[in-house]
Amino acid sequence: MTDGALSVTVNGRPATLAGVPDSERLLDTVRWRLGLKGTKEGCRSGDCGACTVLVDGVSTLSCLTLAHEVDGASLTTVEGVAQDPVGRSVQEAFETAGALQCGYCTPGFVVALVGLLRERGRSAPADELLADLGGNLCRCTGYLAIARAVALLAKEGP
Amino acid sequence: MAAFSLTAPASVDAAIAELRTGAPGEVVVLAGGTDLLFDLDGAKSAPRRVVSLRHLPWRTLDWNGPVLTVGSTLPLRALERDPDLGTRYPGLLQGIRAVGSVQLRHRATLGGNLGRAAPASDLIPVLLALDADVELVGPHGPRTVTIDRFIVGARRTALAPGELIRSVRFPEPRPSAYLWQRVRPANDVSQIAVAAAYSPSDGGWRVAVGGIPPRAVRVPEAEARLTSPNPDEPDVHRAAEEAAGHLPIVTDRRASEEYRRHLVMTLVERAVHRVAAAPRGDR
Repeated sequence: MTDGALSVTVNGRPATLAGVPDSERLLDTVRWRLGLKGTKEGCRSGDCGACTVLVDGVSTLSCLTLAHEVDGASLTTVEGVAQDPVGRSVQEAFETAGALQCGYCTPGFVVALVGLLRERGRSAPADELLADLGGNLCRCTGYLAIARAVALLAKEGP
Repeated sequence: MAAFSLTAPASVDAAIAELRTGAPGEVVVLAGGTDLLFDLDGAKSAPRRVVSLRHLPWRTLDWNGPVLTVGSTLPLRALERDPDLGTRYPGLLQGIRAVGSVQLRHRATLGGNLGRAAPASDLIPVLLALDADVELVGPHGPRTVTIDRFIVGARRTALAPGELIRSVRFPEPRPSAYLWQRVRPANDVSQIAVAAAYSPSDGGWRVAVGGIPPRAVRVPEAEARLTSPNPDEPDVHRAAEEAAGHLPIVTDRRASEEYRRHLVMTLVERAVHRVAAAPRGDR
């Protein structure tokens, strides 16, 4: 078993945690140990994408990831996405398009989209970006506005 | 979720040794963990120890000419983004894209998909159609098992105690396709899925159907109807009828038997047509 110690970089800052149980999910570590409540628990079974965080830059379901599996990694949560231009542009696009209703799914959508844009670049077609967001659910069914935000980002180009 | 202890052995030998200690069901292997953690939360299984493969040197993707070998712990997303995958193994690319979501594929692995052997795996039908070889290592050294012998049943594989999946080898690029039907494109289980491939080396077709418990199967009766790289419409139709007629399809909460047989007909026809229409030549 592990010794419970976990070292990660969170939104650019190093964090060292102690006493993290072997079976703890990254989602719970982020919300309850790191206190970053922007990351949401939706289904806790990988269906909804609300718990998406970036692990070493790539979007990851924190509910299906053990905390100790990301020891040494760099995490970005929704609280940290505005630290770079891609993250800021996604936030602005969501604002402009009014791409939220109750807001619960929004952090997951924003972080997933930031990950996609970093991975694929800004020249990726809007329909492909949208398809790649298929793992995120909006229970308010506010998809049209989210699609408008994605279209804004794709239009802006590189 | 019941508490368990987690270890991440630093070497293959250490991982094999870890797996050999303890009673059956007490120890499980974690690759990407996306299926395992889902299972653990539903309390379907309660292992006391979880052995993570994250330190093993198996996050690899090797092209030897057109022959592809994929390390068992490579995230599926890395395989999906390989620039040559779609031209040489199009069915495999389509199968990978049917798994979960982008977020899930950043962690999910080919080794995990095979080792967990879910009855509705989106990759097992494709691997059957491509005649993939599963390369194992264990206490008694390495061995290779063909995919049709590796998957034994629902959640059952040919892995012996202490054995691990090291890699999967795709011996021959094939025009291939993977088509599915389900309620939601992402993060859902296919009601029926069909993989089809044409082998340039032996001139034969492979038709595999997934989404029917206990495991995906090839349908030799359908394959026998397809005798050329560009089969005639009546032959394609008969192949689809054979598949729809021969498979042990049942009704469950996802779909009725009648609907599933209809899907098999439609998807086999479409998959074969798609493969036949693929450009040939140097692959």
